[in-house]
Amino acid sequence: MTDTSLVSNEPLSPAASSRRGAIAIAAILAALVVVPYLIGDQFVYHVFITICIFAALSTAWNIVGGFAGQLSLGHAIFYGIGAYAGIILMNMGISPWLGMFVGAAIAVIVALAISYPCFRLHGSFFSLATIAFLEVFRVLALHFRDLTGGATGKMIALKFGWEWMVFREKFPPLIIAFGLLLLTLAVAWWIRSHRIGFYLVATRERESAAKAAGVNTVKVRLTAVAVSAALTAFVGTFHAMYLTFIEPAAMFSLALSIQIAMFALIGGLGTVFGPLLGVIMLVPISELARGWLGAHAVGLHGFVYGAALIVVVLFMPNGLMGFLSRFKSQPAATKGQGLTVAAAPRDAERPPIGDPILVVDSLQKHFGGLHVTNNVSFALRQGEILGLIGPNGAGKTTVFNMISGFLKQDSGSVAVRGEDGKFHTPLAPTDFAAIGVGRTFQIVQPFAAMTVEENIMVGAFHRYQDVREAREVARETAHRMGLAPWLDAEARGLTIGGLKRLEVARVMAMKPRVLLLDEVMAGINQTDVRRAIDLMFQIRDSGVSIIAIEHVMQAVMSLSDRVIVLNSGQIIAEGKPHDVVRDPIVVEAYLGKEFVHAQA
Amino acid sequence: MDTFLQVVANGLLLGALFAIVSVGLTLIFGIVKVVNFAHGEFLMVGMYLTYLLTNRLGIHPFATVIAVVPLLFLLGALTQRFLIQPLMSARDDHIQIFATVGLSTALINLALLIFGADIANTSASGLRMPLQLGPVRVLTGQLAILAASVLLVVGLQRFLNQTQTGRAIRAVAQNRAAAQLMGINVNRIYILTFGIGAACVGVAAALIAPLYPTSPNIGTYFVLTAFVVVVLGGLGSIGGAFLGSLVIGLIDSLSGFYLSSDLREVAVFGVFLVILILKPSGLFSGGRLNLSHVSP
Repeated sequence: MTDTSLVSNEPLSPAASSRRGAIAIAAILAALVVVPYLIGDQFVYHVFITICIFAALSTAWNIVGGFAGQLSLGHAIFYGIGAYAGIILMNMGISPWLGMFVGAAIAVIVALAISYPCFRLHGSFFSLATIAFLEVFRVLALHFRDLTGGATGKMIALKFGWEWMVFREKFPPLIIAFGLLLLTLAVAWWIRSHRIGFYLVATRERESAAKAAGVNTVKVRLTAVAVSAALTAFVGTFHAMYLTFIEPAAMFSLALSIQIAMFALIGGLGTVFGPLLGVIMLVPISELARGWLGAHAVGLHGFVYGAALIVVVLFMPNGLMGFLSRFKSQPAATKGQGLTVAAAPRDAERPPIGDPILVVDSLQKHFGGLHVTNNVSFALRQGEILGLIGPNGAGKTTVFNMISGFLKQDSGSVAVRGEDGKFHTPLAPTDFAAIGVGRTFQIVQPFAAMTVEENIMVGAFHRYQDVREAREVARETAHRMGLAPWLDAEARGLTIGGLKRLEVARVMAMKPRVLLLDEVMAGINQTDVRRAIDLMFQIRDSGVSIIAIEHVMQAVMSLSDRVIVLNSGQIIAEGKPHDVVRDPIVVEAYLGKEFVHAQA
Repeated sequence: MDTFLQVVANGLLLGALFAIVSVGLTLIFGIVKVVNFAHGEFLMVGMYLTYLLTNRLGIHPFATVIAVVPLLFLLGALTQRFLIQPLMSARDDHIQIFATVGLSTALINLALLIFGADIANTSASGLRMPLQLGPVRVLTGQLAILAASVLLVVGLQRFLNQTQTGRAIRAVAQNRAAAQLMGINVNRIYILTFGIGAACVGVAAALIAPLYPTSPNIGTYFVLTAFVVVVLGGLGSIGGAFLGSLVIGLIDSLSGFYLSSDLREVAVFGVFLVILILKPSGLFSGGRLNLSHVSP
């Protein structure tokens, strides 16, 4: 799901509204402790403790389910591990404060072991796999009776006091639950507002574009899962102490997993404070229903949950946070994007063309019986613009995919000169990005739910770890690309011309040394083509070497220092643009006789 | 030896039961491209309907299909029309997961609300009678499930391959846009498919209710295995689901007997996870349906 509320509510948004938001959040958090203290009623305490626990669980879940978009329905595994570790160790005389960390450590190991293979799965399949793992854990907890007590479950040794996390009064557990909530919120907020958060959302939105921007998508997801599992296990340990009794069905429960995910969805998936909001909305209703009607109407509160989930999905897919953000001032209108490319005065002297920086040697690629590229060899020289042309299906994009690591060649090699002056042969997209190869995609791949600024920041993070620096670079790049007016607009709102420029901006923010442009001029109007050409020259003059796949002949002719013509996977001509278009082989294979007549 | 034969027979009969629950799921999976997390709850609803009709009105469980199948068809069609269809344009399938998970939660708890947590036993009407077939003992009801699952699988295959509607359904599964250009009303096909998928569960419910105690959570018990079967068999492949069911039935039965009865699920889910991770398109998939939604 592409969550529109993701961006605008975060601490990243304009100062005034974020300050108001921060005050509201602080007030809500304070109320979580103050209200039950003032009322002093046992049931009220219980409700507020439950709110804190579920809000913490849901916030922790959201790091994986929301930020990373991996919809885990097995998060109770980590909760259960925390609970069992806590109680088993406590019965051995070890304080749950220590048990918490043991549980978290086990949860992290389990989380990594489960997630590594599962991250190959997408959407429903990932969810199904997590459910299956949860069932396995439940059955194992039932089976290993000596350790877990089997179906009968386990009681804690009733030892009271802070040391044991068990109390006669309700205030101390509220403080602990509240502390866990604060911890989880702080971690979620930190992640969302730092590099890893951008990387997670970018990976969720467009995995391949994230890879092209140098994001190690597997690593960031695993990090998110590990953090989320540890936090969930913390809460599990504490909740076990609070309940004083655990059993497999309640600890490794699918219903609990679903509930946690649901709170996050209802509050606002992928937002920092959404899950908290969702819990505050629903837990009191459910606890009251349970308290008042529980005896008469089993299942009523569950029915309310299910129905609420359906209603939210249908009518408020972005949750409460998305709903609230509708009342905030809208970002700049997205009209007229095509007309404002900053006219680029070319004052820089063109640097001379130097030695090869990227060398492609006899690339071969088959898809089944089809030879997509056959013996393709060429070199890109430092400071050169190399045009790659050819009819549709000639294999141009396939070549791009191989020289950016997205496709593995059957044979042949791609070597890139690194900053150390030596040639390297990167393999994965991330390696290509690391060595300074940036690319755009023929079909634009924006991170739709992120703003223009954030999109470009994902590229900038490649060189700048610090959020502020990355933002600065992103703004500066956006300015150069004529995207400045839409910095705060979501990428999904841009026109095709705007999106194409955004792609280039994102790559440029990576400060690449080699730029691979896949039809960046397709579908934009004449004025924009002329400005885009200027921009390419400007980029080249700043020392970047460019390979451009392009169909807009005007651009190819005026941009390229050299043109390579690809047909049926083979290079059929290579040379100066004007020579190439007069080459009879090219004319016959690609351009058609009319073109030559027109030229004449 | 006799014990082994009995265990194998039990496995195959269990497989037939999984098959009859899974065919509808795989149909919806393959054509509407939606994982119906409420599929088990559809079964549960069907079983309660059978229970009510049998125990209250004294109708034979098998005869209840006349009412249960159309009602479930309606439930499925309504789900598609009012829950899934509004979400079809969502780029991500997360929102659809939430939708069907929400439906599942609501249905389980609605059943709790109406019937309570107690188990409802549908009167068996002779379906729990043991028969001795050579060295193997089976129940009449189990044989009925075996026969019905074969009929259902063959019937669905013929329907999909030989009727005009069936061809339209397959066309939509393979290329939604192209099918639309050929004048097929895609939304209607989806509603129809979801309805048929749910109706299959109706058949299953009427056959299973006399043998298994009905409870609000019974769906979860069956459907998790059905998911395994569907993935094993290759998404959307009806024949694959049948073969997958038999394999899973055998694994369940053999591991239950030779390993430990409470570790059966671990064996089944272990197989599931291994297949899901190593070959997410399924063991028996011939790649007949367009699975583009599976890969990134």
